[in-house]
Amino acid sequence: MSAALPIALDELELDALTELVNLGISQAAHSLAEMAREEVTLTVPQVRMVPRDEAIRIISEREHSKLVAVHQVFRGDITGRALLIFPEAQSFELVRAVVGGDMPIDEIIELEQEALAETGNIMLNGCLATIANHLQRSLTISLPEILHGESREFFDLEPPPPPGDLVMFIYINFALRHRNINGYIAMLLDMPSMTALKALLKAYIGRVAGDVLAG
Amino acid sequence: MAGGADDYWNALLDGLDAGVVVLSREGRIDCWNAWIATATGLQAEDVRGKSLQEVLPGGVSRRLENAVKAALDSGASTLLTHALNPGIFPLRTRAGRTLLHDVAVSSIATHPGPSCLIHVSDVTMAIRRERYLRERQNARYDAVVAGAPDGILTMDGEGMILHANPAAVLQFGYSEDELIGRNVAFLFFESRESWDRTWRRVWEEEVLRDSVEIVAHRKGGSAIHVEISASRWKSHTQSFVTAILRDVTERHAAAAALSDLNATLEQRVEERSAQLLAAEEALRQSYKMEAIGQLTGGIAHDFNNLLQGIVGALNMVQKRVSEGRISDIARFLKGALSSAERASALTHRLLAFSRRQPIDPRPVHLTQLVRSIEELLRRSLGESVRMSVRSNDDLWLVRCDANQLENAILNLAINARDAMPEGGRLSIVTSNRTFGPAEASLRELVPGDYVCLTVSDTGSGMSPEVQARAFDPFYTTKPIGQGTGLGLSMVYGFIRQSEGSVRIESQAGQGTAIEICLPRFVGDLEQSIAIAAPPAAGHAGLDKVVLVAEDEDIVRLVVVEVLHDLGYKALEAVDGPAALRILKSAQRIDLLITDIGLPDMNGRQVVDLTRGERPDLKVLYMTGYAEMAASGDFLEKGMQIISKPFSMDKLAAKIKDVVEGVVS
Repeated sequence: MSAALPIALDELELDALTELVNLGISQAAHSLAEMAREEVTLTVPQVRMVPRDEAIRIISEREHSKLVAVHQVFRGDITGRALLIFPEAQSFELVRAVVGGDMPIDEIIELEQEALAETGNIMLNGCLATIANHLQRSLTISLPEILHGESREFFDLEPPPPPGDLVMFIYINFALRHRNINGYIAMLLDMPSMTALKALLKAYIGRVAGDVLAG
Repeated sequence: MAGGADDYWNALLDGLDAGVVVLSREGRIDCWNAWIATATGLQAEDVRGKSLQEVLPGGVSRRLENAVKAALDSGASTLLTHALNPGIFPLRTRAGRTLLHDVAVSSIATHPGPSCLIHVSDVTMAIRRERYLRERQNARYDAVVAGAPDGILTMDGEGMILHANPAAVLQFGYSEDELIGRNVAFLFFESRESWDRTWRRVWEEEVLRDSVEIVAHRKGGSAIHVEISASRWKSHTQSFVTAILRDVTERHAAAAALSDLNATLEQRVEERSAQLLAAEEALRQSYKMEAIGQLTGGIAHDFNNLLQGIVGALNMVQKRVSEGRISDIARFLKGALSSAERASALTHRLLAFSRRQPIDPRPVHLTQLVRSIEELLRRSLGESVRMSVRSNDDLWLVRCDANQLENAILNLAINARDAMPEGGRLSIVTSNRTFGPAEASLRELVPGDYVCLTVSDTGSGMSPEVQARAFDPFYTTKPIGQGTGLGLSMVYGFIRQSEGSVRIESQAGQGTAIEICLPRFVGDLEQSIAIAAPPAAGHAGLDKVVLVAEDEDIVRLVVVEVLHDLGYKALEAVDGPAALRILKSAQRIDLLITDIGLPDMNGRQVVDLTRGERPDLKVLYMTGYAEMAASGDFLEKGMQIISKPFSMDKLAAKIKDVVEGVVS
């Protein structure tokens, strides 16, 4: 599949990216654990680069209920959108897991939107900031926004995306208070950002390899 | 920060309805606008250049610290909401109330490096509005739910109870705290399958259209029947189930009681049927008495005539004896005896009507039987009805209870009389008939020889409807109080029991003929006489020994005399124990004649107690209470019963029967 992409990451670059995402996610897990005062396990089984349509297809095939997304925009050498996507029902579970089981249900409902925004914010920040730091580039990351809808709507936000852009597609698994929640992080990158990312990853690999050689 | 431009920007910052704090790259406060100064009570001059920790000791969380760091290091923007971070800063409104706030931390591009912008927004109003709306909604909800007589539980998607109303607490005996947080299935531990099925249905169908009844358990373990209706609902992203549980235990108990009642219904119907049968029996008896009443006039007249004959003859005997002319008194004595015998026969007949006579099927000669009651019939029919009897002596024998047959004929005659209030003709005809298959099936009989008796009148007749129901019990066309409607039904019952048939031929206004057919009896003519049995031949007893147990001296005397005349040797006992003593001895006893009603020990007890010594003892019971013997079920082989009063001839015949083993 990667071969078909106009700008593809090679295996090494994808490995490096997966590693960075894992670092970012574990940073996010740490922040969430602090907030929830409970151990949080966040795992990333897979990172893929897929065309936008493919990402839409994957999610709509796997998820039949309505979805909720936390959306943030990032700008810098790499520019794009980050989306944390859950089935609606799972998003509630996520919030409940974070705020704890003691809170009355209607209060949780009341808090849900804000808590979800904040939880998603932590996870996306963790990812983006960690990747940016390791690639030694600075990004400006916006505040979170909550979206409800279907996967196609999430990937067709205004302004209309240019054709041929790619999605860094990350499956995440979230375990907290005996709850197991599956979701996705999707990062939509335009062509120049993709080119920049590839270059940055190459440089990163060079540094890491250099360290290894030097060590 | 001096000069016009600065003043402009400062004025703008102070004019914002939001808190603005800017931290330098080193984390020192660079900017502290008027809003945050008011909310914290700390003036800009006092905080500028200091760290947040210094300004708000203990008021800076790790979250905020991390957010500031992320903004400065990575350009990340972080949202800290009041929802997950209540009271990030100790802020107050101008009125001194708690100020609810969200905090956004982001980086701003400043020279020489980025600074951190902390933006605090007041969400007190928004949250108050939400709470107000929620409370108002809750108030409505509470008014319904809290006041509902049925238990109402709200569960999350996994069945965990989130809310329980007071009725549910009362219903199940668990406190609200004990219910909330548990899976609702624990209430249905014994009907878990039904509950799981119901739960699945709610998820599939969203609303349970028809309520489901399930057994639940209270805290103490007692069962409670609940009728469940439930629906699934959604709030934002989450589904819930609210179930209404109606306690139908009482309804259940009532239904169970009803089903018990139904179960015992059959038994109660049987009891009632038995009572009804008893009542019917009593009614039948009273019907007989009614018939007797109808006959009494004629009988009383008859009886007086007979008494007259006796009294007259005895007067003559007395007169002749006093005159010393005893040569012809035998004629008068014979006359008196004859009248007395006829009087006895008359009382017998009365007893027969009232069924105080043992049922005793014997060969019967119909002609003789009709003749024996002819006089009685004539008298009871009255002057206006002319009666003719046509029968011949060649008639075959039939076998039935003679008394019941008389009764039946009388019933038919009374019906005929009542059908002819203006008078008319009544005829009784007897004949021998041989029925082929066609004639037999018409009468529901088997083909063969029959003796038929037809009672016909010239009365009002019966319509086909009346004919169809004429044999139904209690069916009557007579006015209330004049008939029970049992007469024909009993005639029918008796004849069918004797394997015969009853047929009605009638037309309204043309009179009625009722035909009774009884199967021919092939047997000994000598045994056929139901009435006026021939005198027994004497001196048959030879050396046989008979024990007579009878407390009435005169009766005992007469019986002993008869025995002596018959050539038997007689032993006497005046009561049960005396009889028992003799029976327990080695004395030869060929026959025991005993009154049933003996003092101290009755006749049946005497017989029972000697069964060991004399298993084959022949017994002839005498009784004045014939109904005791009517069932006859205690009579064993070699036993017979004779009802008082009896003639000497009849006694002699009975004795002979028993001793010689003739089975009647």
